[in-house]
Amino acid sequence: MLRGSQQTILLTAGQPCINSISAVPFVRGYSVLPPTNDEEEKSMLHRMMRVDHAGEYGANRIYAGQMAVLGCTQTRPLIQEMWDQEKKHLSKFNEILGDNRVRPTLLLPLWNIAGFALGAGSALLGKEGAMACTVAVEESISEHYNSQIRTLMEKDPEKYTELLQMIKEFRDDEMEHHDTGLEHDAESVPGYQLMKAIIQTGCKAAIYVSERDVCVCTDHLEHKRAVFAF
Amino acid sequence: MYFFYSLCICNHIGCMRSPLWLDMAALVRALRAGRALRGLGSVAVQGTVSPQCRNARRGFHCATLLRLADDSKSGTSVPPPSFHEVPTAGESSSSSEPSEDGQPNTSYQDQSGEHGEDYETEEQLQVRILTSALEFVPEHGWTVEAIAAGAETLGLSSASTGMFNNGAGDLVLHFVAQCNAQLADTLAEQHNLVQLGQAESKEMAEFLRDAVEMRLRMLIPYIDTWPQAMSILLLPHNIPDSLKHLSTMVDDIWYYAGDRSTDMNWYTRRAALTGIYNTTELVMVQDSSPDFEDTWAFLDNRIKDVVNMANTAKQVN
Repeated sequence: MLRGSQQTILLTAGQPCINSISAVPFVRGYSVLPPTNDEEEKSMLHRMMRVDHAGEYGANRIYAGQMAVLGCTQTRPLIQEMWDQEKKHLSKFNEILGDNRVRPTLLLPLWNIAGFALGAGSALLGKEGAMACTVAVEESISEHYNSQIRTLMEKDPEKYTELLQMIKEFRDDEMEHHDTGLEHDAESVPGYQLMKAIIQTGCKAAIYVSERDVCVCTDHLEHKRAVFAF
Repeated sequence: MYFFYSLCICNHIGCMRSPLWLDMAALVRALRAGRALRGLGSVAVQGTVSPQCRNARRGFHCATLLRLADDSKSGTSVPPPSFHEVPTAGESSSSSEPSEDGQPNTSYQDQSGEHGEDYETEEQLQVRILTSALEFVPEHGWTVEAIAAGAETLGLSSASTGMFNNGAGDLVLHFVAQCNAQLADTLAEQHNLVQLGQAESKEMAEFLRDAVEMRLRMLIPYIDTWPQAMSILLLPHNIPDSLKHLSTMVDDIWYYAGDRSTDMNWYTRRAALTGIYNTTELVMVQDSSPDFEDTWAFLDNRIKDVVNMANTAKQVN
């Protein structure tokens, strides 16, 4: 039995879970990632999901940092609302990673610390600083999602319909955060342009590194399995 | 006969990937096989062969050798199996070949000799040879001799070992991959049964223990020669592949155990299980207790340790 086809069976069988003792989540009737047996495509999709997951994880930590500093001020509800949306995104990506056996990036602890530091550091400049940070980060993330959408559209828009839909939805949410940040006086922080440029360069570097996070040991020898199917 | 020898030399020179000494060894074996060939002049060594001399495809010259040796028994010309990209429809001769009883040539199921689903690729052929070579491992060890013996039971020339650039490494890696595939299939079946409610799901520690024991039990038939296999896997050029097999297996076990973590736990769990598996394997090769009881006791203890550590970590957090 091919591992790929095993995944197909697991991901497309719509049977409800009878045995609730099982720790394994039950099979859904659809999957965001289209099942595939092509190695290159699979590795490309996994890489995309890995980077996106790392991005949402980082965004979560940024908002956590901002909340830690500004939690007792007026901006609390605003930050909380944006943070809750990021939490939803992150849990969606967690689900995708788990279902499709995608390896999470090894650099997660780094994004944990860096994100929290960035969020807290920008929040120390006040509400405007936090908003400026939000604007910069959300713009980077939207750009990143846009380039992913472009890639997928170039390849095969029909095959990746669900995935495209999901990424578009998330991108729209991020743009909303970006606009919210602008509305709440992000641009009035001193050194706004400089701060924005620095943060966006950092984000670009983070995306670049996460995309190239290659774990030699765990890039599986899927194709060898195929031969034992005979 | 001389044409055949010069053909071999031409192929060996043209094929850039094998080191010269491997070629010479294969050539010597081919010469021995060549002596057994009769009526070689009647074998239509195709005109397509010489352009392919310069083709860097590794399998070509070896496939030709073993096909020519094969032909000696059938006396007909057959297109080499690795030539699936060259249309040699004019030479469909498999109609005569599979009808012979002495030839366990199962690759051509369709008597008409058409290329298509019954066309065996080089990889499939290699898998067949290596699988049949496994029964000779207790006798010859994890060596090229075992592969040669395996090839001979399939009715192919022992010169077909030239197809395997890595020699014994190929045999060991094939065995490891085969065991891992079997393990994954069994775990998937059990998983399906649990999902259908036909079986109880196991606690994580018990599941890990059973999975590792199942996988290690597959080594029992070869346990006497397993240290040799382990040392082959540790050769520098085999390490990337053996690490990949190991990590695939560990990932499979954790996935079916229900691990869906997406943080550092993903890495720490797999590292822990790798450690457990490797140490238990080492204990197993020097275990002389009946049915390897000591090994399973060791495995039990290691899993308990890891579970304790995880619980302690949770409490601290």
